[in-house]
Amino acid sequence: MGRVIVVTSGKGGVGKTTSTANLGTALALLGKTVVIVDADVGLRNLDIVMGLESRIVYTSMDVIDKHCELSKALVRDRRVDGLTLLAASQKNNKDDIQPAQMKAICDKLRSTHDFVLVDSPAGIERGFSNASAGADEAIVVTTPDVSAIRDADRIIGLIQHARIEPINLVINRFSPELVGNGSMMDQADVMDILNIDLLGIVPEDTGVITSTNRGIPLVYEETSAAAHAYMRIARRLTGQQIPIPDLEQKGLFTSILNWFTRKS
Amino acid sequence: MNISIRQLFGRKPKSSSIAKQRLKLVITQDRLDVDDRMMMRLQHELTEVLAKYFEFSMNSVQVSLKHEGNSCTLVADFPYKKAHDLSVNR
Ligand SMILES: Nc1ncnc2c1ncn2[C@@H]1O[C@H](COP(=O)(O)OP(=O)(O)OP(=O)(O)O)[C@@H](O)[C@H]1O
Ligand SMILES: [Mg+2]
Repeated sequence: MGRVIVVTSGKGGVGKTTSTANLGTALALLGKTVVIVDADVGLRNLDIVMGLESRIVYTSMDVIDKHCELSKALVRDRRVDGLTLLAASQKNNKDDIQPAQMKAICDKLRSTHDFVLVDSPAGIERGFSNASAGADEAIVVTTPDVSAIRDADRIIGLIQHARIEPINLVINRFSPELVGNGSMMDQADVMDILNIDLLGIVPEDTGVITSTNRGIPLVYEETSAAAHAYMRIARRLTGQQIPIPDLEQKGLFTSILNWFTRKS
Repeated sequence: MNISIRQLFGRKPKSSSIAKQRLKLVITQDRLDVDDRMMMRLQHELTEVLAKYFEFSMNSVQVSLKHEGNSCTLVADFPYKKAHDLSVNR
């Protein structure tokens, strides 16, 4: 039986789709069978981020309306074995799908895949209840700024209420430089506020933008910092014990200070 | 240690620590303020339990939250008249 994991956030635009695409691909590269499900009905993006937009014929809406079999709606990613995508309908809106229907789809998918990753729309409304309906686990994505963290806390409350656990946190767009000079909260600050387990930290990386432009998830070329981060997170998801590296970059001043004040 | 030396040099507090402080406060409030209905239920159930041990007028129980700085306290006020004699029930 596979694991159904919803990738969600309170605030929009913090990197759910980027994370779903890269984690799904990374898990497949690690030899797992994976289906990534776009639950952002009406605002679908996972297909274009994955570079599969031209190959979508059927969506989850067609499966629900019994226009096609679930297996027929899964688009195979030809670049890696074991990775498929279930797209969201772009013509419908979130109210056209019931949580129970999403749950039925997830339950079927879990019997044939190791991982079912559900890319949720932002927010606390219907889109979230649909996306999380079939999930046993959640990954909450946040950026290290005040509004995203506040909204993350709100969504964590809802996930706990729905009795979905474990809930793991991914901190995205982390800037070692800004943390080093004191303008961005570090991982300890964020963990202290949100109080859930940390799954990983993804640095700010221009490679994310260029890879999205090309429709090739970053993890295919494991060279950039964000690609490494996503590969490590995927390994943790499979149960490997991989320590979370300290990304903080000490500025010159801090380094000198630390040298003078270091503990022996 | 770092901070105190920085303060000696007259540096402003780091904006990240300000962010953290503000977030902690606002999130405590978010977490607790959302649920008025839960507070009503708590008040109701608390009254039921307390009535087993004390004699007081049912409407006098007040449950509220008090924010002080970074912390939050649950306060239940119930002016009671006297304790029931529990030994009688045994
Ligand atoms: N680590 C990163 N470094 C740089 N840019 C990033 C990073 N992560 C995400 N982005 C950029 O942020 C934008 C939003 O990302 P994404 O679409 O994944 O967010 P989302 O949470 O799915 O948004 P929505 O709530 O609209 O669904 C994109 O333009 C993406 O390229
Ligand atoms: Mg998205």
